[in-house]
Amino acid sequence: MRELLRSGTGGGFVPPSSADFELPPVFGHNIYTTKPILLVFLSVILISVFFILASRKAAIVPSKLQFAGESVYSFVRNDLAKDVIGHDFLRFVPYLFTLFTFILVNNIFGIIPLLQFPSMSRVSFPYVLAITIYLVFHYVGIRKQGAIKYFKEIMFMPGVPKAAYILITPLEILTFFVVRPLTLALRLFANMFAGHLLLLVFILGGDHLLQGVIGLKLISPFAFGIGIVLTFFEFMVQCLQAYIFTLLAALYIAGALADEH
Amino acid sequence: MAKREESAMWSIFGYLLSGLLFWGGVGYGLDHWLGKSYFTLIGLLVGVSGAIYLVWLRFGRE
Amino acid sequence: MTGTLNLVGFGLAAIGPGIATGLIFAAYINGVARQPEARSVLQPIAFLGFALAEALALFGLVLAFVL
Repeated sequence: MRELLRSGTGGGFVPPSSADFELPPVFGHNIYTTKPILLVFLSVILISVFFILASRKAAIVPSKLQFAGESVYSFVRNDLAKDVIGHDFLRFVPYLFTLFTFILVNNIFGIIPLLQFPSMSRVSFPYVLAITIYLVFHYVGIRKQGAIKYFKEIMFMPGVPKAAYILITPLEILTFFVVRPLTLALRLFANMFAGHLLLLVFILGGDHLLQGVIGLKLISPFAFGIGIVLTFFEFMVQCLQAYIFTLLAALYIAGALADEH
Repeated sequence: MAKREESAMWSIFGYLLSGLLFWGGVGYGLDHWLGKSYFTLIGLLVGVSGAIYLVWLRFGRE
Repeated sequence: MTGTLNLVGFGLAAIGPGIATGLIFAAYINGVARQPEARSVLQPIAFLGFALAEALALFGLVLAFVL
């Protein structure tokens, strides 16, 4: 879109900004058909189809597809849920598994050619995911320990002089109820946003250099080269962010389940 | 067990941020109310020391 | 181009804590790798050092918005 706009003007370089993330609707004027929303639907379809195919003909000697599906599942089940939550982890595995695959696929859309937009770089998707985690871990904690004991344990830490509670209790409340879910969402959002912006800077910058005088044309391959290297770097960041998001969700659930933090 | 360290790091970050936000916010409010200019700084310092005290309580007391 | 110099200042102020955090955890990893049983001794020290370094970075962040 912006390439079309820019090549006509032939003016100075327009640095990419947050306006590049506000994409127009794909079909007509319906604002519910923007690219991120379509990508989220596509990711749901892809994940469902992949895991249905992978688990449909389950056999003792797994096929390649089944092996791929099972290794993702066992990674989430053993490395994330079992290690962190401990006993009684099995009922959180479906939630964590959904979270992990959903975030992973949506992040990786950022570097797949033609799609190339990480839908998690629109802040509302991470917010909704963080809200679900917020509901789950407080619900689990209240269910397990009873409302009064749960909140008392958050607010008043044992073994602290009484006067220090004035200083500390507001911080505990703010951390538990506002800062934790907010940072959880913003970390994912900011990583995807910054990564996409970084790629835009190098690719659009290289494109702009290519339209300049001969000296600038010679520099532009370096910009594209750095863009390609950063694409691989982005792949790493995207996998890591999906992992960290799921890990922290599991840790919050574990913290709510444990009697002592 | 590097996962514990990961979570501890992010909760330290959260404590420091909420300490600065809460007590800095209180100081900012006092500044607006009383028309002074130094309460924000005092609030930020109180918030940081409270948060570091809390981190010491949670993670440093062994 | 528009913007505020506060953010440039915050960017500069974040360099120091960034390096500090790197050094703290490098030393912590070294210590645990050499002597795994020392982990419980090193962990609180590393976390307190991390908290102090991170406090400076967050101070910069807050002051960039307040000033």
